[in-house]
Amino acid sequence: MADVTGEKDMQQRAAPTVKTGRLSERQKDIIQKFAALASLVVLTAFFSATSSAFFTVGNGMTIALQVTSIALLGIGATYVIITGGIDLSVGSVLALAGVVAALAVKELQLPVWLGMVLGILTGSLCGMINGIVVTKLRLPPFIATLGMMLIARGVALQITGARAVSGLGESFGVLGNGSLLRFESIDEQGFPVVAFPGIPYPVVLMIIIAVASAYVLNRTVFGRHVYAIGSNADAARLSGVNVSRVTIYTYLISGTLAGLTGCVLMSRLVTAQPNEGVMYELDAIASAVIGGTSLIGGVGTISGTFIGAFVIGILRNGLNMNGVSAFTQQIIIGLVILATVWIDQLRNRR
Amino acid sequence: MGASAIAATAPARVLLRLENISKEFPGVKALSGVNFDLRAGEVHAVCGENGAGKSTLMKIISGVYQPNSGSITFKGEPMRFSSTLQSEAVGIAIIHQELNLVPHLTVAENIYLAREPRRGFLVDRRKLIAAARRCLDRIGVNIDPTVQVRALSVAQRQMVEIAKALSLDAAVLIMDEPTSSLTEQEAQLLFKVIRDLKAQGTGIIYISHRLDEMVEIVDRVTVLRDGRYISTDDFADLTLDDIVARMVGRSLEDKYPEPTRVPGEHVIFSASGLTRHGVFSDIGFEIRRGEILGFAGLMGAGRTEVARAIFGADPLDSGTITLDGKELKITDPRNGIEAGIAYLSEDRKANGLAIKMPVDANLMMARMDGVSNRFGIIDRKKHHDASQHYVDLLNIKTPSLTQPVRLLSGGNQQKIIIGKWLFREPRVMFFDEPTRGIDIGAKFAIYQIMDELAARGIAVVLISSELPEVLGMTDRIAVFHAGRITATLTTRDTNQEEIMHYASGSGRRAQ
Repeated sequence: MADVTGEKDMQQRAAPTVKTGRLSERQKDIIQKFAALASLVVLTAFFSATSSAFFTVGNGMTIALQVTSIALLGIGATYVIITGGIDLSVGSVLALAGVVAALAVKELQLPVWLGMVLGILTGSLCGMINGIVVTKLRLPPFIATLGMMLIARGVALQITGARAVSGLGESFGVLGNGSLLRFESIDEQGFPVVAFPGIPYPVVLMIIIAVASAYVLNRTVFGRHVYAIGSNADAARLSGVNVSRVTIYTYLISGTLAGLTGCVLMSRLVTAQPNEGVMYELDAIASAVIGGTSLIGGVGTISGTFIGAFVIGILRNGLNMNGVSAFTQQIIIGLVILATVWIDQLRNRR
Repeated sequence: MGASAIAATAPARVLLRLENISKEFPGVKALSGVNFDLRAGEVHAVCGENGAGKSTLMKIISGVYQPNSGSITFKGEPMRFSSTLQSEAVGIAIIHQELNLVPHLTVAENIYLAREPRRGFLVDRRKLIAAARRCLDRIGVNIDPTVQVRALSVAQRQMVEIAKALSLDAAVLIMDEPTSSLTEQEAQLLFKVIRDLKAQGTGIIYISHRLDEMVEIVDRVTVLRDGRYISTDDFADLTLDDIVARMVGRSLEDKYPEPTRVPGEHVIFSASGLTRHGVFSDIGFEIRRGEILGFAGLMGAGRTEVARAIFGADPLDSGTITLDGKELKITDPRNGIEAGIAYLSEDRKANGLAIKMPVDANLMMARMDGVSNRFGIIDRKKHHDASQHYVDLLNIKTPSLTQPVRLLSGGNQQKIIIGKWLFREPRVMFFDEPTRGIDIGAKFAIYQIMDELAARGIAVVLISSELPEVLGMTDRIAVFHAGRITATLTTRDTNQEEIMHYASGSGRRAQ
């Protein structure tokens, strides 16, 4: 990510800034990103001081694992929100996708990988329907995805009879529970000792997808068109941008990532819960917003969303370790969202 | 001449006086050393080209901006407004070009918005309506105070704004382009209201591009040019040409570049029988190599709509379009762009530019495939070089390629739109009000670009509501009235009167 070069820029331009009292857009951008990053560092430092178990490799991996679902959904939300839309359906879509994957493995006896591909495609389908409803039926994104939120959840409950799907076999749990580069040794008593817990597959997946989606957003024509639509859809259309198609793709991406998140989550539990993922869409939107994505559209970055997801994840984890109740956690996270968006608006006020 | 005019302002009571006002924005000197005074019971016009500083001056008077230097006195007291609330409180009201009414509330509710007469916690409706009716009666207009504002015409809304200003006991009324969307009849009603207000002692600051209508009401006129104070005179002492000469600062002949294009006979583009039901019908015209064709007509005559339909932005019910002898089928802007048609929108901010995005992204927006590989990955070097090329070619003044376009001046924004389309190497370009809101230097540059494009063999259409511009820049003129072309005239053989004759629909020449 561009933060390293950004720092240099900021130092070079700092002097004239003081004179004019106005910041260039790029500087504002960098400050915004640094503000989010700085709050991340402050949170880490604070929790490390209050809890000795916080700043360890093991806990780091735990946080990363917990953050995967927020980050994956947040990336999808970022695409959608940059176009000026919103996707409220991802929490339900991930439940439906996970349930479809599990039923495919259990009832249809399909191999695990195929079941999961089916689950992910279910998410894609839901996303595509969202996109079509938004662009062709011209319903407001809030309404279109609210409808999908209810429908997908309803279907997930219907096809499972509202019961969890279990007995999926160990192989179903590999995606969610396996790790890359895990080092173990056996001690004298024959018990395994973990030298390095490894990087969980979901974390690997999250990093690959974050990098890829940042690349797509910044360096491809498609990414440029996403920003153009959010900044001014009419201007984009009159410049020959296929506004409907690009918009549908953003919802498709959001739905696909929701499908993937569903498979990862259900795999971690080795059980498919039709009630999984309730309110996850709000975490996803919150991470994008904390990361500087504007709900008006046209503005947002994947790196920002990534930081936003970690802010939420670290807050939850650190507060847990300090014995703060789940209710208080909600209050704190709510305040953090209000504060970051308020700061963001101060930044944009001229 | 300015100084002598100011010395002569003794007779009537001076309501408002601004002396030596200067205002700077980062990198721009918007106003320097401007003087202005307003007497009770007079209409004082402020004239100047776009970008001359009229609206900045009005924003200083109404408290939106604070001047960097200079003094303001109101009824003899020194004033310093830090917000519009403060200026309103002392009795300065501004009626904006874009009206500030709430469409879903009634006329009475709008007039007394946030100042509703109350009975306990409730709005005293009877008192509200009676008070609103008194305000409307005072300006002699017959509007029902209980109807919703969205049901009113633009002219009626303007009357409501005026009534609202009067309900605030405004001693000073600022009117910004009040007639720009009124019919002749409605404008006459407005002038009657203005004369009544004058008689009641209200001071009115009047801003308008339509100099000819000022004859009806204006007492004095102050001219600004490029942010500088030029003069203040009694209106009766000046001719309209004097005013224009002061606004422009050079003789009118120099406003338009010497054409380098040579109109030929070869037809590049032609349209015939274009119809969109209820909007325009049976539109036909040709553009020949090396010429600029003008679309003249009143607002709403269908000029923009025809251009948008040809480009594919709006549907077309029937008609044929041919380019270089080939018939085109266009149903979407993408077809239009593919075919080589460019449409430069009249409203840059609404649908011409993505104003939050940087200069380079906007320049490249219409032809991203030209700077990316077949997988859709942007080639950053090509992207940069192509953007830089158009910045240099069109002399776009920007601190960097990554500057968001909203921070640039109107002229530079317009050049970016031109650059965006040039990158597509179009065959036909529709310029829709390309110089609206642009300062005079940039106007000249844009005229030069248009001439150069025509000289290079691109078919250029200029859609403009400013007749001098159409007469100064085109070779032939298609005059629109109510969705039809009523005449196609040769520019050097026609004049404003003839164009207006056809534009107002009072005559129709067989073609």
